[in-house]
Amino acid sequence: MAPTLPSGDQASDQDNWDNGRLARKRQLLTEIVLRNRLTALVVDGDTTCRVLEQLLLRSYGVQTQGVDNGRDAVALIASGVKFNLIIIDMILPVLNGLEATRQIRDMGVHCKMLGVTACSGESERQAFLAAGVDVFIEKPLDPEHLVPILRELDGQ
Amino acid sequence: MERNPIRRQLAIMRQSLFDQGHVDEQFVQLEELQDDANPNFVEEVVTLYYRDSARIILNIEQALERKPFDFRKLDAYMHQFKGSSSSIGAKKVKAESTLFRECCKSGNGEGCMRSFQQLKKEYATLRKKLGAYFQ
Repeated sequence: MAPTLPSGDQASDQDNWDNGRLARKRQLLTEIVLRNRLTALVVDGDTTCRVLEQLLLRSYGVQTQGVDNGRDAVALIASGVKFNLIIIDMILPVLNGLEATRQIRDMGVHCKMLGVTACSGESERQAFLAAGVDVFIEKPLDPEHLVPILRELDGQ
Repeated sequence: MERNPIRRQLAIMRQSLFDQGHVDEQFVQLEELQDDANPNFVEEVVTLYYRDSARIILNIEQALERKPFDFRKLDAYMHQFKGSSSSIGAKKVKAESTLFRECCKSGNGEGCMRSFQQLKKEYATLRKKLGAYFQ
């Protein structure tokens, strides 16, 4: 729920308590200082989504690279570039996210893969997990989902 | 002091975006990515969204002119549109995108047409409100 303005010029004590508690909860969920340099590949055909996901990762100190289709993602991984984390959409141009994920896994890549997609159905979730992603996240990618994963990757 | 009324007005405009359901928590995430180094970040991202999504809207319009409907293609376009809309916190636009995709999945052409008209209204309304807010 978005932070709310106090009515009139004075917030009630309850409003201040609720807003403060919410702010502290968000802090716990969203703040992280990485000890290690992590790298991530973002695979999304939509420029807005790709830019935002990369910026979110960079705000936590993750070095990122972005590609806009599944074929280029597979080619990049096949060239030997290694990432700690791959964020991949389900529906992609050229080569879709399900097939790209399978091909990346078939190469023996074991890094954490997040399927971040606008698809929200259970069948889509099961299909993406079966293809090889570790976590299925409905867009948008948010800190509450991302930070625990970064902590895990950072060994915290 | 002149600054206070302007800031107050901005705060009211911002709050109404949430209260009227036009944007959700994701919009707050965008604001949190804005800093002194990128003071116009939110406006730039929203501009990027409207630039890129205009192409998708056009693709959907053209696809809806062709009969019979290619529901798979329509769904793929709307999938992309829904994703980018959700990434900027466009709550009502995202909700209407979901309805459109449900119509695609059930092969409901009339539903797609109705939903798309409503979606375009919400899309335009949001653009107007955000434009006024950034000004």
